[in-house]
Amino acid sequence: MKPSTLFIIIVLQIPATTCLLADGSDTRPIDFARQILPILSDKCFVCHGPDAAEHGADMRRLDSFEAATAALESGKAIDPDAPQNSLVLNRIHSADDPMPPADSEKQLSAAERTLLSEWIKQGGSYAKHWAFVPPKKTATEFEDGTAAIDSFVQQNITAAGIDFAPEADRSTLARRASLVLTGLPPAPDQLAAFLNSNSDRAYDDYVEQLLASPGFGEHQARYWLDAVRYGDTHGLHLDNKRGIYPYRDWVVLAFNQNLPFDDFITWQLAGDLLPNPTLAQKVATGFVRMNPSTSEGGAIPDEFQAKNNFDRTETIGTVLLGMSFTCARCHTHKYDPILHTEYYQLLAFFNSTAESPMDGNKYEYGPVIKAPTDINGWKQWTQLETQRDELLAKAEQVLPATIAAQWNSSSKEDLLKLATKTDGPFAASDLQSSAAELTQRMDEASANFTTTLVAQELPQPRTTKVLSRGEYNLPIGDTLQPATPAVMGAFPENAPADRLGLAQWLTSPEQPLTSRVLTNRIWQQVFGNGLVRTPEDFGVQGQQPTHPELLDWLSVEFQDSGWNLKHMLRMMLHSRTFKQSSTWRTDVEDPENRLFARSASYRLDAEVLRDIGLWSSNLLDPHMGGEGVKPYQPAGMWLAMAHPASNTKLYERDSGQRLYRRSLYVYWKRTSPHPMMTLFDAPDRETSCVRRSRTNTSLQSLGLLNETQRIEMSRKLAERLLTECDNDSARLNLLYSLLASRNPSPVEQSACENLLTTMKARYAASEKDAAELLATGEASVNSSLNAVEVAAWSQVATTVLASDAAILLY
Amino acid sequence: MNPIYEQQLLTTRRQLFGKSALGLGTAALAGLFGNELQAETTGHIGATHHKATARRVIYLFMSGGPSHLDMWDYKPKLKDMFNQQLPDHVRSGQRVTGMTANQKNGLPLCPSKYRFRKYDNNQNGVWVSDLLPHTARVAKDLCVVHSTFTEAINHDPAITYIQTGSQIPGRPSLGAWLSYGLGSLNENLPHYVVMHARTNFAEQSLFNRLWGAGFLPSDHQGILMRSQGDPVLYLSNPAGVSREDRRTQLDALAALNQEQHKRFADPEVLARIRQHEMAYRMQASVPELMDLSSESDSTFELYGEDAKTPGTFAACCLNARRLAERGVRNIQIFHRGWDAHGGLPREHESQCRDIDQACAALIKDLKQRGMLEDTLVVWGGEFGRTSYCQGNLTRENYGRDHHPRCFTTWMAGGGVKPGITYGRSDDYGYNIAHEDGTPMNPQPDKSKWTPGTMHIHDLNATILHLLGIDHRKLTYRYQGRDFRLTDVHGHVIDDLLA
Repeated sequence: MKPSTLFIIIVLQIPATTCLLADGSDTRPIDFARQILPILSDKCFVCHGPDAAEHGADMRRLDSFEAATAALESGKAIDPDAPQNSLVLNRIHSADDPMPPADSEKQLSAAERTLLSEWIKQGGSYAKHWAFVPPKKTATEFEDGTAAIDSFVQQNITAAGIDFAPEADRSTLARRASLVLTGLPPAPDQLAAFLNSNSDRAYDDYVEQLLASPGFGEHQARYWLDAVRYGDTHGLHLDNKRGIYPYRDWVVLAFNQNLPFDDFITWQLAGDLLPNPTLAQKVATGFVRMNPSTSEGGAIPDEFQAKNNFDRTETIGTVLLGMSFTCARCHTHKYDPILHTEYYQLLAFFNSTAESPMDGNKYEYGPVIKAPTDINGWKQWTQLETQRDELLAKAEQVLPATIAAQWNSSSKEDLLKLATKTDGPFAASDLQSSAAELTQRMDEASANFTTTLVAQELPQPRTTKVLSRGEYNLPIGDTLQPATPAVMGAFPENAPADRLGLAQWLTSPEQPLTSRVLTNRIWQQVFGNGLVRTPEDFGVQGQQPTHPELLDWLSVEFQDSGWNLKHMLRMMLHSRTFKQSSTWRTDVEDPENRLFARSASYRLDAEVLRDIGLWSSNLLDPHMGGEGVKPYQPAGMWLAMAHPASNTKLYERDSGQRLYRRSLYVYWKRTSPHPMMTLFDAPDRETSCVRRSRTNTSLQSLGLLNETQRIEMSRKLAERLLTECDNDSARLNLLYSLLASRNPSPVEQSACENLLTTMKARYAASEKDAAELLATGEASVNSSLNAVEVAAWSQVATTVLASDAAILLY
Repeated sequence: MNPIYEQQLLTTRRQLFGKSALGLGTAALAGLFGNELQAETTGHIGATHHKATARRVIYLFMSGGPSHLDMWDYKPKLKDMFNQQLPDHVRSGQRVTGMTANQKNGLPLCPSKYRFRKYDNNQNGVWVSDLLPHTARVAKDLCVVHSTFTEAINHDPAITYIQTGSQIPGRPSLGAWLSYGLGSLNENLPHYVVMHARTNFAEQSLFNRLWGAGFLPSDHQGILMRSQGDPVLYLSNPAGVSREDRRTQLDALAALNQEQHKRFADPEVLARIRQHEMAYRMQASVPELMDLSSESDSTFELYGEDAKTPGTFAACCLNARRLAERGVRNIQIFHRGWDAHGGLPREHESQCRDIDQACAALIKDLKQRGMLEDTLVVWGGEFGRTSYCQGNLTRENYGRDHHPRCFTTWMAGGGVKPGITYGRSDDYGYNIAHEDGTPMNPQPDKSKWTPGTMHIHDLNATILHLLGIDHRKLTYRYQGRDFRLTDVHGHVIDDLLA
């Protein structure tokens, strides 16, 4: 082959990213955002970043092309025309006067030095950090979202010289899908229906069932409640009770109703500012009130006005923007281009809500409204509101012209009142009597409503200024108006400069972060790890996405679908990527599973572990929503820590059905959450958490095998096995089918049978021990069963419930 | 790489190679400690940054703000200023809490009613009040710092600050940092043990966050050792289940988990089998720990009869020594009730009775066992109390408000200079002063260390230093920032090091 032909082939094969350097060598051009910015950020920006001026008036900035190429007396930091003259190039290679300085804790590696040199030689061009550029779908057309996912994932898998893992067997897949969507394994009949179906749509139907089940919202809500730091107490000092659980119930309902996520965000940030807000829209603003609060004697109101606002601003950063704003509280951010001023402009959106900076240690820490006390109450109320709207729509059609103006400017509540009047515009019509009857039903329904904290604006906004060093008593400069950080996209034209405008900005297509951050967390829920492994940090110091094009594709798809969560989950659950076996691979070195070349495997969350036990033993109380429940807890835990004046110093354990609600509803005392929650990595909910730890400790073993409720579950599960099956082999099959969605393997079977035999003999020898074991927990004992049998099976159930086949997702 | 993943990966690799990380680390540590510049650890930092002088720390935390003026900081001149107003030049703009900012009697100066005596130490002696006769007698082992300061003036922010380095919740506690950095010396007991001592005046609340892991992996959180029920949560088998039964169960469980591992090859599963076994061993080691029957009469003479009653401060101190003996690196006792806004004498007398003999006993006991030299004992609260009175003032009865600007902390053992005092306050016990007693001007500031002072970040930096850790290097990246216990502050106070 002639040399010239060879050259052409190379050019054709290598994508448009190749260039020929002047010296004739060809090198892939450096990708600034992916390769260079992380180095500059980590090693240089601490002095030469956005806040360089803090380090001396003549400190050079390296965070923009303009600054880096400015001609100063000493020369240009980067000289695109004469790269060899660039100061950066000289200094990073200088032995006498190196950069970073010799005493700096962060030094450049040889590879980093080479990359920087190469980049400067190529002209030192800059580009925006990837996360600040709005996502776009690649040009490729895909049949559907599922195909897109698999295509992007496959690219990396293929590049690693392997293929997708084989598909998991159907029962494993069924269990996985059910746990991911609802936080519970499939019921035996549901599982059997799926496994026995010959339909092409068997999996589709199965997934749809899960998406439609009430448990879906309960499970999905948990992640959101971690992110927004939902708790049932104020959190600081006395840590008194706070009335806010209607917010939690609304979140469950919103997930079950698949409320579009842009609305979900908007209602929470600014439901009160929407025209004619519904009760749900107002209750949703509990989000704005979720910051921990205090009323410590001696606390200074201005200090806590500032601290409450810091908390809210930084939570928005973590939850919706995937950015830490905390640095910018005290000074211009060192790494990310967020100015000190911009922090306080963002804070200004929250600085004019009407609540006092101190909670007064009150349950009804105003402003509060009244809302339904559980999910049924919500459903009933929503129906009534719909009926009211229909009635008012009818009324509007026969509206006397004389009151049209009054009609249009009144709230729905007032309109209904007007319609009810026997001397009003609809007197003696059917409308009047319907309105009266509806009013009565609404009054009855709302009579037992409970308190919930909401956001409201003050008539006159508070003054917001930059706080020097973040000190509440050191305001400086001019009064600031609410505004959003420039680097994160333009504030929509005509949007109001209030929380509603903030919500509009967050959900606008030009805003580069919100959709990506949420999409990444949805992926994380389904696949165990995010496409960005630092879901709390999409900034310059965060990790780069493992699959940037996929993340962008999905983020745009999320918006295009109308912010449809169920659509996104459906796409992911149908992917080949999701359906793969989770067995660790030996043909590739990828312990972190960055390729997604196997399905996720991890220990399930605290709540899921408890719920599986309650569910499998038929103890689970399906009641949805309501005041936080208090299951068994070792005595004295709260008292040992609480202030004597606190109204949460005594843990008053519930009894009856309230012991058996889903764990989502367990009472959350922020300074001392339930120990079985914290033992298994639940956060304290004093600060936002978008990714839980997954630890593996000996104390967890003690919890799994000894905690009262787990023993109670085991003995009720034992009763169930003994009641529903008539021989030990069938019992073991049922046990495994409940917990592992399959029958036991021969090894498992023999291990369990040996345990059972030993335990039967052992409890036959001491019926007293059997009786004691079965007295654990409040649930009744089925005395028609043989106590020795129940005790022995109970021990088997405890063991299998604690085994990895039951406590892991795989 | 994100440290969570890095650590998980490390664990995973160790498991894959079939080596017990712990066995390796502990053995190496035992061999190297004291002989080498650095010691290998089982924690994140791999090896200590420099030679550690302390292998473990026992932190006696006096929650609520003990009165330095009635215990440690002798201010004879205040006697003549009884009921006079605190001069403005002394207060110099210092903010006052909402509780005394507007009180009718203003800010009347309040001398301590207690007699102070001078006890020999290795310098010019140290003044201690009659509230602490036992502790005073171990003055030769104490390093008493009279110039501790903080910025926070209310309990919740102040205690969160001293324990986590930030006034706002969310950061890891000192103990969690140590667990993360250094790991454990004994896997049969928790890495980091927290005890709550009984008090007659439980006036302040404690929070999980004070021993919490913040954004560190949650297995670094402190484990409560309780005096009620199981000493470690869920330690006991359920009624009707014997230790033998548990053994049988665990054998079955191991077989089940091996089967899971065979199917999925997830190394985490093998790690969990190990944790179940550790739990089983802990079920034996913790009761052995809590069983004081092997302690001699002389022990109880030393700690006092109180030490026989579970949950007392004395019992907690004795437990602390027993934990330290068994390789627990990180022990913290919280004693509440020091928040004496009114009726200070009655409350502090009771509080001091709770702690005095036991503090002294702990020092003596560690010393006689040869453990004081590598065990750091720290005593202190989140702030001190004001030299002006809160509420009615008489010579015999008074209260004091919170005072962040100057208070007393002491340390002993573990490589601190024994028998010294460090720093001083002005004649009012209000501001930190130069050696000659003139108040420092400007006031010391956390951002730049001033000799003779100890900001709470400096205290934490010094504690870490004694344990072989450079407080600037023990970091964890969260949300793009390399966080550390001392934020961007902290200074190791060399003057306190032996």
